[in-house]
Order: sequence, then C-alpha cells, then structure tokens
Amino acid sequence: MAEKILIIDDDEQLSNAYKEYLCSLGYQVDCAQEVEEAETLLAHFSYSVVITDLRLSKLGFGGLDLVRHIRELALKTRIIVVTGYGWPELKAEASAQQVDAFVKKPTRLSDLAKTIGSLAETV
Amino acid sequence: MKTTLLATILDPHHLSVRFQPIFLVRGESKQLHCLEALIRGPRRTNFERADVLFDYVRRKRAEALVDQSCVVAICDAVMNLPPEIRVNVNVHAATLGHKPGFVEFFHSQAKRRALALDRFTIEIVEHAPTCNIPGLLDGITALRDLGVRIALDDVGLGQSNYRMMLDCHPEYFKLDAYFVRGLTADPKRRAVVESVATLAKALGSSVVAEGVELNQDLALLGRMGIELVQANLLCPALPLEDLVAEGLVPGAMDMSSPSPARALGNPSPHAFELEAAKPFAVAARPPS
Repeated sequence: MAEKILIIDDDEQLSNAYKEYLCSLGYQVDCAQEVEEAETLLAHFSYSVVITDLRLSKLGFGGLDLVRHIRELALKTRIIVVTGYGWPELKAEASAQQVDAFVKKPTRLSDLAKTIGSLAETV
Repeated sequence: MKTTLLATILDPHHLSVRFQPIFLVRGESKQLHCLEALIRGPRRTNFERADVLFDYVRRKRAEALVDQSCVVAICDAVMNLPPEIRVNVNVHAATLGHKPGFVEFFHSQAKRRALALDRFTIEIVEHAPTCNIPGLLDGITALRDLGVRIALDDVGLGQSNYRMMLDCHPEYFKLDAYFVRGLTADPKRRAVVESVATLAKALGSSVVAEGVELNQDLALLGRMGIELVQANLLCPALPLEDLVAEGLVPGAMDMSSPSPARALGNPSPHAFELEAAKPFAVAARPPS
C-alpha cells in the first residue's frame, strides 16, 4: 500500500505542485490549507509523513501549533517542516518538538522527495 | 482567489444529500415512517464522509453557518419527494440557540419551495454544555409553532441527557446504536434500552432505534414496544434515485427529469441566503 503523506500549506498552488510530484512517485497525498483542516484529517486518517509550512496564516506560525498537536497525539508520523523562515528560534522550537527534518524554502521537488525517502529509511 | 474548505462547504451545491428510511416495523411488515436527510461533503474528497466533514465544521466553530448550507441542500432535495413523505433534518443545538436566525431561515427556505413545515422533524445533535439553553428552547418553541416535530439525537450519549429530554419535550428519542447493537446477547444493554422505552412512553415520546444489526435484536426491540427503526440492516442511506429504484419512495420525482429545484432558475440564490444569515454567524477562532 502506498505511503500516505499530508501536506499542509496555505499556498494551494505550491501544495498542488508537491502533491502532483509526490503522487507521480507513488505516494498517496492529501493537502490541507489550514490548521483545523489538518487536525481533522489527522484525527480520521493515518499518515506516515506530514509536510508542513510553519506560517499557515498571515497572523502567525500555526504550523508550530500543529507540530505540537501531532506530538501530543503521539502519532507515529514523521514531520518535515518546509519554511521560508530560517530564524534560529523557530528551528530551535521545531527541534524541541522533535521535527524530523527542517527544509528551507524554496526547495527543489526532488530534494523534498529525497528527504522523505531518507526518513523512510530511518523507520 | 484562494477558496478555503469552509467556503466550499458553505456553497450548498458542493453538498449532497442522502436519505435513510426510518421504518415502522411490526412483526414481518415494515412501513416507511420518514426519511432522515444526511449530508455528504464535497465529492471525491476526504470530507465527503459526514463524520470527517462535521468534525472539521465543529473545529471551525461554523456549525450555524454550515447547518444553513445543509438546510438549503436538503430543501432542494426534498422538492423531489412526494409531499406526504416526512423528512428529518439534523441541526446542531448551538445553531438553534442563536436567536432569531435559524428558525426564520429554515422557514423561508421551506416557504420559497412550497414545502409544508409539518413534514419536517428537526433532529437536535451535539448539545454542547456551552450551548445557549434558553435560546435553544425558544428555537424549539418557534419550530413547534410552525408545525415542526423535534427529535433528540444520540440519546444515551454525551449531552443527550435527562435535562434535554425534559426541557425539549422531543416527539422522538433517537436511541444511539451503541445501546442497540448486540441487545439480545447483553442483559445490561437490554436494561438500558428498556428504561429508555419506559421513559419515552411516560414522556409521550416515541423511540427510534438506530444501528440495529441483527434480526434477533430487531425482534426484541419490537417486543419492547420500540417499533421505529433506522438501520443499514433494513436500508442504508442512499441517494434519492437509488431509493426510488428500490421502490422505497413511491411517487418520487423521476430523477432523470429536470428537478423543481433546478427549475427554480436561481443559479446562486444561496449567496444571498447565507449573507442574510449573518446575524448568527459565529465569531472567528483566534489565530493559531
């Protein structure tokens, strides 16, 4: 069965590009644009990898809340943060929340796929 | 422009309606009592499933807005049913608690389609403890004044408690499947169901047993005096055309012909109606 990936980014165009590419590699991909949508999907479906942006609205870093939420649920989900922000304090917080990989935007689709692949190897 | 999932759901055109019959079962005979209208989310998405859809809606605290959207979709679908068939519609308690919006909205939607209100039963769902109880009771009174019947959903679970039974005076107790499944084999479940049946009788209400899976449980329910049953064992929730094909809805509109809803010729009437619903729009969640 194909590995399921959840992509969370409020940039629909970007999510769709990720989705198209990852589907072509055989992954099964869902997308969410906002925290509540992602929380709902996580409550009802199982994902092996979550790829999330940190900034999910103009108002703040909802992606970090989501990472915390996933960890509180103790889901066996690998988390990749993809963000344009390289702020050390964000990296530190993401690291404290046991994020599995931190990828700086913009990123090549092939590099993202490599990161996903490398996480799968460490399972 | 970015379209959020919530905005998509708030367009009733993206919702679909299925109907599940509630039967009056007496011995070997079963007779259609009414249909429960059940909403499904946007097709070919994860949110097509009702449990996923409404989980999202509750997380967005958008129950009131989405209930309106559902009412529009359901009223459109009900236009294809024969007028003698009664229909149950689920509404969140929180929605009814918002005065004066929902009841007027429901009334106007039925009226514009010439649907008699006395064929509707409102099933009250998700009665959160924070729900505005006085507002809810006012809403129920206003619905009753219009001829609408009231059902209390998920009786036995969560907030469907004795207070709600007393305060709402429901015509129907919808007994949750949890208590009904495996009834014959479990004396404790039997005791609970018997107590609900006794209570309903004393309060002048009827019990609808949901989720019956076994014929022996169905027979036992009948012996307990519970004759109204809604269960996949008898018929799952189906699109109207499938119910018609099964012969369960005699006299329903031929689904291959243009529906009266479409014949209304209002390509986007809902934008206005949802706009009109602003008085009871809920506050946005604080940013995360």
